[in-house]
Amino acid sequence: MAAIELNGVQKSFGTVDVIKGVDIRIEDGEFAVFVGPSGCGKSTLLRLIAGLESINAGEFLLDGKSMNEVAPDKRGIAMVFQSYALYPHMTVAQNIGFSLDLKKVPKDEIRAEVEKVAEMLQLSELLDRRPAALSGGQRQRVAIGRAIIKKPSVILFDEPLSNLDASLRVQMRAELQRLHQELAATVVYVTHDQIEAMTMADRIVVLKDGEVAQSAAPIDLYKRPANTFVGTFIGSPRMNLLSASVRRSSDGSVEARADNGWVIVLPDGFSAFDGDRIKIGIRPEHLRLVALPAAISAKVSVVERLGVETYLTFNHPKGSIVARLEGDITVKVGEQVGLEVTENACHLFDSSGASIQSG
Amino acid sequence: MPNGSAKNSASVKSADAAAYGVLAVISLYCAIPFLWVFIASVDSEPSQFLAWPKEWSLQNYINIFARQDGFLWIANSLIIVGSATLIVMVLGGLGGYALSRSHGWWRRPFLYTIILIRVVPPTALIVPLYKVLLTANSVVGGIVRAVMPPDLVRPTMHIFGFIDGYLGIILVLAATQLPLALWIMKTFFDTIPRDYEEAAVMDGATLMQTIRRVLIPLALPGLGAAGLFAFIIAWGDFLMPLIFLSSAELQTLPLGLFRAYMRVNQLDYGFMTALAVIYTLPAVIAFGFARRFLVQTFGGGVKG
Repeated sequence: MAAIELNGVQKSFGTVDVIKGVDIRIEDGEFAVFVGPSGCGKSTLLRLIAGLESINAGEFLLDGKSMNEVAPDKRGIAMVFQSYALYPHMTVAQNIGFSLDLKKVPKDEIRAEVEKVAEMLQLSELLDRRPAALSGGQRQRVAIGRAIIKKPSVILFDEPLSNLDASLRVQMRAELQRLHQELAATVVYVTHDQIEAMTMADRIVVLKDGEVAQSAAPIDLYKRPANTFVGTFIGSPRMNLLSASVRRSSDGSVEARADNGWVIVLPDGFSAFDGDRIKIGIRPEHLRLVALPAAISAKVSVVERLGVETYLTFNHPKGSIVARLEGDITVKVGEQVGLEVTENACHLFDSSGASIQSG
Repeated sequence: MPNGSAKNSASVKSADAAAYGVLAVISLYCAIPFLWVFIASVDSEPSQFLAWPKEWSLQNYINIFARQDGFLWIANSLIIVGSATLIVMVLGGLGGYALSRSHGWWRRPFLYTIILIRVVPPTALIVPLYKVLLTANSVVGGIVRAVMPPDLVRPTMHIFGFIDGYLGIILVLAATQLPLALWIMKTFFDTIPRDYEEAAVMDGATLMQTIRRVLIPLALPGLGAAGLFAFIIAWGDFLMPLIFLSSAELQTLPLGLFRAYMRVNQLDYGFMTALAVIYTLPAVIAFGFARRFLVQTFGGGVKG
């Protein structure tokens, strides 16, 4: 039972404002992911929630109770560190049971709890080993064990998978989701990896320069990015952005004339006047090849064949465009091809980058 | 080309042999003085030259303890150097931690200033140091004379005196070894991620628990290395005890050795070499114990 609420939270180190007034609400039991480029303040935000840093202004509420002045270990929050921070001089069992040992819990009780946690994480065979004798994935699980033995209402993860290789990362993602369901704790997870964010989160909080760029369910972020930052941050390859001018004709049709010469017909229902400068966001997967002559044609600059899909890059002085096409497409570099944008798939932003789409 | 490879391996072998030969000569050259010291110490009639003893004897060692104050010298040396080492380890550990974790502007100037102190030759410091300690000693002396009965003043001053007292020489030795220890510990703590302490905080550890159960075990290799250096250098220091200790009750091993050497008309090689062996042993033993800490400290920090 723990809903997290951050109201106008600010944090600065010296003269540098790292968190500039953040409002976030995470419901009880949610798996929330803070994502953003390095330096966006996501780790600092996590440390504020943990209590490892103090909040300069604003309030952090846990189930409605202010936690600003509560000591880290009294918040009912556990944290898994990026480096795991397993004590090298203690065995796995001692590492997991350390918090109980500090509370002077009787030894046999600690042993029983440790064994229970170890079983859940498949660590039972490793309890007497030192961290140095463990693999990366095993260390990761010990670090998680050390967190969940405290039966926390909130578990914080600081880029926990960044030290693992790719295949292990996929496996741990699934394991973390299973754990989240078993423990029913609220999870706040920090990563710079949008795939981790998209696959695990109930809610993604995209941070940029110490502010929330958008907070929503993963698929909403993908479908309705609130601004160009979120639009280009979520999705790979990143969303194409075209600067364009709006043309409204007397018959009611609307089109955008992009600076690279493309003319795209837009469905009405966005707030821009004739002649307004806008930005059009087109995801690479929303472009497809059509036979020439076509409304849009472009010269292929780069072909990347991945087998299951093919990326085509079209270089242009006004900005390169990437198309992500299904299947193995055999076009040649330098070839002129016709392109079409999937209907209703354009994201429209004003010149400042904010979404101007209604609904 | 079996012929060529055979030739090749033969030339490798002869090169190896030459290398081992040269190394053996160098090793022997280095080992002979130690060998002479040891052999002379168990020779009943030792001489200035390396010679196989006609008669083996432990009489030289017995002399040190029975006729001279061998036990007292060893005890004094261990008390003085041991206390200085302990002080260096405690202050070096705490100070090194502070220097590693603080971001204050004073950090860099401080680190370079303390290493500058080590640049000044100790001999050059004797006069001002003596002056300072003399002043401190007279203050302590005044207090001791005021609170102690007259017959206990001298023994008390042997403990708390700054001149000709344990306290003074311990502090002097500790102070000269502290800069190096601070550097070692600062560098060592730099390699220990802060995550360990923060994980302990999240687990509910108090400051003392964090220090005792997390930081000290993690810092042990560094502390061992810093302590070893302090012990070995302070153990080998001769100048400071010579200047600041004069009472017969406070003589240390190097002073005992020096006085034996200074006896003009009878140069007793047996006595001196036996004392040299005894004097060398603790340093060697300390090195044996702390060797792996040295490797861990200067060979790549904490693993785990």
